[in-house]
Amino acid sequence: MKTKIRKKGVISLAVITVEHLSKNFKVKLKEKGLKGSIKSIIKPNYKIIKAVKDISFNIEKGEMVAFIGPNGAGKSTSIKMMTGILYPDKGEIRILGLDPKTQRKKLAYEIGCVFGQKEQLWTHLTPYDNFKFFGAIYDLPSSHVEKKIQEFIELFELEDFINTPVRNLSLGQRIRCEIVASLIHEPKVLFLDEPTIGLDPVVKENIRVLIKRMNKEYKTTVVLTSHDVSDIEKLCKRVIIVNKGQIVLDDSMENLKYHYLNKKIVEAKMKEAVNLEDQEGITILKDKGYNLKMEVDIKKKSIADAIKLLNPDNIVDINISNIPLEQIISSIYKDGEQE
Amino acid sequence: MRKYFYILKSELMSNLQYAFDILVGFISYCILIFIFLNLWKYIYADPTELINGYNMNQMIWYVIITEILWMSLGGRKLCKKICNDVKSGNIAYNINKPYNYVEYALFNHMGLVIIRFILVGLLGLILGIVFLHSFPSLTILEILGVLLSCLLATIINIMLVTSIGLISFFIEDANPFFWLYSKMILVIGTIFPIEFFPAVLQPIIKFSPIYVVSYGPAKLFVNFTMTNWTQIMIAQGIYLVISFLICHGIYYKGVKKLNVNGG
Repeated sequence: MKTKIRKKGVISLAVITVEHLSKNFKVKLKEKGLKGSIKSIIKPNYKIIKAVKDISFNIEKGEMVAFIGPNGAGKSTSIKMMTGILYPDKGEIRILGLDPKTQRKKLAYEIGCVFGQKEQLWTHLTPYDNFKFFGAIYDLPSSHVEKKIQEFIELFELEDFINTPVRNLSLGQRIRCEIVASLIHEPKVLFLDEPTIGLDPVVKENIRVLIKRMNKEYKTTVVLTSHDVSDIEKLCKRVIIVNKGQIVLDDSMENLKYHYLNKKIVEAKMKEAVNLEDQEGITILKDKGYNLKMEVDIKKKSIADAIKLLNPDNIVDINISNIPLEQIISSIYKDGEQE
Repeated sequence: MRKYFYILKSELMSNLQYAFDILVGFISYCILIFIFLNLWKYIYADPTELINGYNMNQMIWYVIITEILWMSLGGRKLCKKICNDVKSGNIAYNINKPYNYVEYALFNHMGLVIIRFILVGLLGLILGIVFLHSFPSLTILEILGVLLSCLLATIINIMLVTSIGLISFFIEDANPFFWLYSKMILVIGTIFPIEFFPAVLQPIIKFSPIYVVSYGPAKLFVNFTMTNWTQIMIAQGIYLVISFLICHGIYYKGVKKLNVNGG
């Protein structure tokens, strides 16, 4: 089922292979006002939007990959093509050796999807009835479904609300059930599209723990889309960043941090105001007299040298921190915009 | 097939919670039947008199049955749902499941139709028996024959309405097409039997969906003959295949044009 990929002399077992994938959308344009409405009926104008432009990547078994990008970057379109929902215009996709375009139904048995913004559960039914329903549509024997439900009740702590209609569940409980529903047929690949959207920090953390546990227990390959940097940081070891339909970065989380962590943020509270200006290796981010915030490029200037500029005797309090991952990612997004 | 019956069962379980709400919607059914009851009582000076081969009781039972079929169908709801699914991109979340969307829509909607058919059917039978003090003389086998025809009529109707809804893949709004279809069924198919129309129109109506989704089962209920039953079954069989092919054809052509917006 898996595709053998030879890349730079290394043979890897990829469960997801995407090669030169492209997708365009035809969008109807309408000029403003009534005149524009009439004109669009008589002579409609269309605009071609290049949602995905020639992207290629591989994902191996058991990997947890963040597939991220700003709104309209083409990430969800790519995921929808990988899951067989949308047809690519160009390129090849293989998920566990299957072509989503022509083997969609067969593929559906092998993958699971959770779309945080869309409910797939039947709201008037209980989670238990829902799981039985999903078991049936995946052609699983009733006894097997029963066994899986019991297993998931324990793993995802569903005991308290397993018999409560879904419409009466909290968002966090519902998302937990959505994940279970997508796991009932033991998919080998799981696509999570913003699974923690709208959840409070405690519930978000619970969901992350459960996703991690699931990855560990079942060796499920996970492709995660999220705007929440903590999701990405805490769950994924690899990041693929897409912007304007193209991959702008495909690297390990470790490398991503390493390359960008040569910059530190120094925040200092001073006894007396310091008049410091931008110089090589130092960028002043905020200067309010007694409070100073600067970015130090440690490749060009050491932290010790930067502190010396402030005069250590003048410092009341100091905080040295890494650039938040969120900032790193948004700067990559911005770089993509400029290109 | 097991999964499709499970879809039907789940929809049935979901809708059972709203059985009372459905019943409230049937007030209009009672009013309609009451109007036709008075209309036909006025037209028929003598209830045993035959107009185009129907006596008064048969005419009223005809309307009761065609209205049961139409009201239990919930066609507007189905068309609106399919249109919304296509336009909003919600259909996408059904596409990546291991079932066929058309069959899913059929069995899903059958879950609603079954409850409606039982409720409005009981209501119609009670109204008929109370006001007419009579019931067409049918054997158990003949009743089963009529029920089979009603089932096929409903399936064909669902397939045709789903096809109309799926036109949304190609045009902005398919609801006006449903409006035309529903008015055609209501005006030509439910109020008068085909025999009441001019001779020149009758062959056209007999070839139209009206014959299989409305006239056929009602005609069998008021005047069951084996010849009629066989003819109607053959027509329903042909229409079932045609509507199935049309629906799947539109779906497969349309799904390639699917445009899912927003994240």
